[in-house]
Amino acid sequence: MSTDLLGTEAAIWDALAGVPDPEIPAVSIVDMGMIRDVDLAGGRATVTVLPTFTGCPAIPIIKRDVATAVAAVSGIDDVVVETSFSPPWTSDRITEQGRARLEEFGLAPPTGTGPVLITEIGLPTVARCPFCGSTDTANENPFGPTPCRALYYCNACRNPFEQFKPV
Amino acid sequence: MSDAALVSLVTALADDELVLGHRHSEWTGFAPHLEEDVAFSSIAQDEIGHAAAYYSLVANLTDDDPDRLALGREPAEYRNAIFCERPNREWAFTLVRHWLYDTADALRLEALEQSAHPELAALATKIRREERYHLIHADSWIKRVARGPVEGRTRLADATASAFPETIGLFEPFEDEEAAVKHGWLPVPSDELRRRFYDKVNPMLDELGLPTETHPHAAARAEFVASSSGDLISEGSGETSDAEGADDALGGRRGRHTPDLDALWTEMTTQYRSHPGARW
Repeated sequence: MSTDLLGTEAAIWDALAGVPDPEIPAVSIVDMGMIRDVDLAGGRATVTVLPTFTGCPAIPIIKRDVATAVAAVSGIDDVVVETSFSPPWTSDRITEQGRARLEEFGLAPPTGTGPVLITEIGLPTVARCPFCGSTDTANENPFGPTPCRALYYCNACRNPFEQFKPV
Repeated sequence: MSDAALVSLVTALADDELVLGHRHSEWTGFAPHLEEDVAFSSIAQDEIGHAAAYYSLVANLTDDDPDRLALGREPAEYRNAIFCERPNREWAFTLVRHWLYDTADALRLEALEQSAHPELAALATKIRREERYHLIHADSWIKRVARGPVEGRTRLADATASAFPETIGLFEPFEDEEAAVKHGWLPVPSDELRRRFYDKVNPMLDELGLPTETHPHAAARAEFVASSSGDLISEGSGETSDAEGADDALGGRRGRHTPDLDALWTEMTTQYRSHPGARW
């Protein structure tokens, strides 16, 4: 690959790093681990997005924002944005920076850093309160305001909070 | 068309999820407590999202539009099991149907992860991970009510007696199933999935003291009452008539539905029909 192509590809990743998750604007879609790959062929860029949850209503917005951001990169004439479920998006794809930003945003990051086993999904996990840092918390509901969030209560600071579900 | 069997398989999956998702959404604002209002709304959104992904797969195969597939067909074109179109009735029926459906769906998805169609296999892998939350939610509720006070247990037993026999509709072979099995698109035939399902749920129903009668009218006519030990026993006439059978629950995969689907369809498709081509 020529240095030009490498430079363009790096510029695309930079542009993608500026695209926020519409429901969690503090975190970029790159930090969410939603970009599977970027393919360059001439002036055409193909970006493959992995939806966090199948039914996520933010997907059309993300596709539009990705197309706009990548089209602005110099040397790109055409952008194709595809979604894929292969591999399935899993919560261990969220970067360290993404986890820190989720917590600053007030959303507990999913527990565990490795891939979650299918048999472990949905079991109550220990979530750390994003407000006071306590792990003395209780899962109130495995479901929440969006498909990707669960509801918790912090026994220490007595705040309800949400966790990005491990999946 | 060579893909007809694949279209038929994925349409059945999509229609089950859409129709039951719509039933679950009817609890939004009406569930017996707030956390369950949130839970059922979220479960409904998941199921309808899964349906959307399945319809997109079908639309790619047939050069169609996923919205038209979801909302622009006549009731007789839907291939969902009759089990999914039944009204919610009451909380106990909703819970037991949720549990039976998600247990069956988990087995189906586990099989589809090995599908010879790569896109369907990937989708099943993703959906199965999300569905784990539904199954654990349903499991915990069934156990909680089945081991709780007698009124709840009685209602759950009644609901199980009418819901369980109708699960057979989930395993009714869909059109061209033999071809789908031959191509490896559906790695495990419906018959075998049904056996796996009974192997899974029967011991659990027994353990919880819930009826395992698969003949629809035998158990439904019986009345469950608490014995002195606290166990539920079925009283009254358990007589059955061969004229009425589980046949009532079959036909969905061939487009033969009950008036329950007509009522649901009318509401579900109102926006689509009154504002053709509308975009959000």
